Amino acid sequence: MPRRRLLITSVPLVLLTAGCRSADLFAGPDPLGARPPLAPDTVVLQSVIAAELDLIASYKAAMATSGNALLPVLAAQHRQHLIQLKAKLIVPSGMQPAAAKTAARGSAQAPGPHPAGLLRAAELASAASLTAHLVSVRPALAQLFASIAASDATHADALAGA
Amino acid sequence: MRASPAIAALQAALAAEQGAVYGYGVVGARLSGASQAVAQQYWTAHRQACDALTAMITARGATPVAALAYYDLPFPVTSAASARQLAVQLEDGVTAAYLGAVATGDASLRTFGARAMQTSAAQAAHWRGSTVAFPGLPAQ
Repeated sequence: MPRRRLLITSVPLVLLTAGCRSADLFAGPDPLGARPPLAPDTVVLQSVIAAELDLIASYKAAMATSGNALLPVLAAQHRQHLIQLKAKLIVPSGMQPAAAKTAARGSAQAPGPHPAGLLRAAELASAASLTAHLVSVRPALAQLFASIAASDATHADALAGA
Repeated sequence: MRASPAIAALQAALAAEQGAVYGYGVVGARLSGASQAVAQQYWTAHRQACDALTAMITARGATPVAALAYYDLPFPVTSAASARQLAVQLEDGVTAAYLGAVATGDASLRTFGARAMQTSAAQAAHWRGSTVAFPGLPAQ
């Protein structure tokens, strides 16, 4: 009995001398340490989602002042893009999901006197940005970006004739 | 010997472009006026894409796939409407074929594939008369 008591009382002593640092006791990531950084794909995806939200906000603003029947059709396709992009996004709990840059500031891009022209420029910029981003992400995500970029390019063509 | 993913992707794109060149010959025969001129323009673009892909494959030390003498059409092309429908199908097929290049580990090939998809998707949209949300991808 005295030997067992000695063993029990010695355990806290060992922990005390070890400094009780979790990093010394676990081989895996330190659960008490800083949150691990987001994967590169996640960071890119978040920025692409934010840009898609911006585009949707721009369409919403344009549709408020223009009766062009093409705009709701293209806006609906952007909402489809957003759904697929969000489906690929895995954000650890407690971290902020992507938000529209302009929407977060409370003002979508002003449509101006020629909303189709502004939207066309935004579509071309989006296609170029997605094409630039797809070189650094995993293959399945690159294919989704390429498809959305192609869709955006066709939107730009359609808006040129609007 | 198994082809590298880059070679396999380029060969698949070349085969699709060769099919488009053949198909546009059929499409153009059923169209007239401005539509026929557009078909001629797109036929030329697909021939140029074949030349570019052939050069890329050769530069990588592989032998480009040969075009077939005859391609089965997916449906009879008997009118301007069915010719346009075939043109949509040809362009959709080419767009999907370039997805392989986008999935390779070669950054320049990914960019090349993505830009080619934008061209063929725009041509498909011309014939379709509308845009789609996900050119080249299977129906969501």
